[in-house]
Amino acid sequence: MKRITIAFLICSVLAVLLVAGCAKQPTEDIKAAQVSVDAVVAEGAQKYAPEDAKLITEAMNAAMEEIKVQDGKTMKNYGKAKEMLAKVKTDAETLKSNLPMKKEQAKNTALATQETAKTAVQEAKILLAKAPKGKGSKADIEALKADVKGLEDSLAEVQAAMDGEDYGAAIEKANSIKEKAGEVSAQVTQAMEKVGAKAK
Amino acid sequence: MNLSRIQNILLAVAILCLAGCTEPPIPPEIKQAEEQALALWRSEVPVYLPEEYGQYKKTFIKAKANFIREKSRLIFFRNYTHVQSEYRQLLQTGNSIIVQLEGKKQEFSRKTEEKLSFLGDQIETLKRLSKTMNEGRLARRNLIQAEVILIEAKKRFERGDFIGADEKTPSLAQHIKAAEKTLYPIVTRYSDKKQIGQWQQWFDDTIAESRTRKIPVIVINKSERTLTLYKRGNAAKSYKIGLGRNGSKDKIHAGDYATPEGRYKIIKKLPRSRYHKALLINYPNEDDRRQFEFAKKKGLIPRTVSIGGLIEIHGGGKDSMTYGCIAMDNQNINELYGLISVGTPVTIIGAVDARNRFSSGIQGK
Repeated sequence: MKRITIAFLICSVLAVLLVAGCAKQPTEDIKAAQVSVDAVVAEGAQKYAPEDAKLITEAMNAAMEEIKVQDGKTMKNYGKAKEMLAKVKTDAETLKSNLPMKKEQAKNTALATQETAKTAVQEAKILLAKAPKGKGSKADIEALKADVKGLEDSLAEVQAAMDGEDYGAAIEKANSIKEKAGEVSAQVTQAMEKVGAKAK
Repeated sequence: MNLSRIQNILLAVAILCLAGCTEPPIPPEIKQAEEQALALWRSEVPVYLPEEYGQYKKTFIKAKANFIREKSRLIFFRNYTHVQSEYRQLLQTGNSIIVQLEGKKQEFSRKTEEKLSFLGDQIETLKRLSKTMNEGRLARRNLIQAEVILIEAKKRFERGDFIGADEKTPSLAQHIKAAEKTLYPIVTRYSDKKQIGQWQQWFDDTIAESRTRKIPVIVINKSERTLTLYKRGNAAKSYKIGLGRNGSKDKIHAGDYATPEGRYKIIKKLPRSRYHKALLINYPNEDDRRQFEFAKKKGLIPRTVSIGGLIEIHGGGKDSMTYGCIAMDNQNINELYGLISVGTPVTIIGAVDARNRFSSGIQGK
């Protein structure tokens, strides 16, 4: 009887070891999570949500580390890794679905800023057109005309950034142009005041 | 070995497993290191200290691999002592990188600030120069683009993005260079010793003539934008003037908006002119004709252009936007008109000194 008990005990232990030790890597879960991460990166996550993209990459790395830990164990248990991979997948998919909105927001802000810059340059141009052509302010006006041309060249760079979907760069440049165009307008007014002309 | 003995051993192992062999706690340094690594990434360490960060990353990966290996071992054999010490070392390395980073950022920020300030000064110098010369509209076009980029760079700098600010400097420098390229060919004449020597010679001869013949003479200095009336070799009156749209250049042909350089004389006094009063000079003289023919022969100017003429000293305001004439305020031309007569020598020079407003401008002074 005792022999039967011991044999049963050994068999049970071996069975448990066999079942647990033969647990397989969750390859499907890994693949699915990786596909989601790659997809969100391809969508421009690092550009529009760098912090979120970094966290997702880190979480993916952590899940892979957990898998490595389990790989080295006799009693493998990939349950935790699977949970982690599932979270990575969900987070990546959520971020991916939010990206178009973030992109759209950035684009709209860039468009609005570009428009403001264009208006500011246009205002300076109109003001220059009204400036007196006679002597006294002519040199200043000519120089300011060259300035406006330079600002128009810069506006083209804003458009190039917009075309390249680099909305951050577009906003940055448009804001600077707006600031400079304001200065040019102020100088035109000054030049006009010098000769006593009034902007109509 | 009897069965009861085996049973006892198994029982003892089981008790040991349950009682004494609980999993050793994971060292807190591991979590701390993870947080530190993220903080280092956020602080742009990979950009500021790429080598140090590369080394840190290697150590981090090695420590992590050891941790994973240790964690994979059977619970009875798991021991994090070595891993903990590795992670402590890693944390120390991370901390030292943070200290280095501060220094590096400060150094980078200082260098970027200096660079931006230098480029800003260059823009100002060139703007001033183009204004002094009242030329270089092409230069201004480039300069304002440079100013736009400078604003962007400064804003990045203000929000602590020193790398981003520095990234703007090449395109900034490129626009400055383009502006210099349009201004320097004009300005270099004003630092050319041979050219200045000739101007000095004209000046000395004119003053000597005034002294010996006891007559008034007019000297127009382009770099100073002045017209000076000399009597018996001594400066008697000086007026601010304006020149042609490209007045700092020597006139070669009609329509180049340049103001001629050389020794001339008043050939006609016009009490009523389009620009108040005017004094017509004898441009082109023999030298001008020679220069014009040479330029035409060499193909330096269009074949169809003429040499031009009707260069005057006139009123209408000292704005440097004439076709090549010398412009003065009406009040001043009134005064000058009464002080000179037909035949009065007029010498137009660029500068009398190698250290003039233009040559100083080119050196960024």
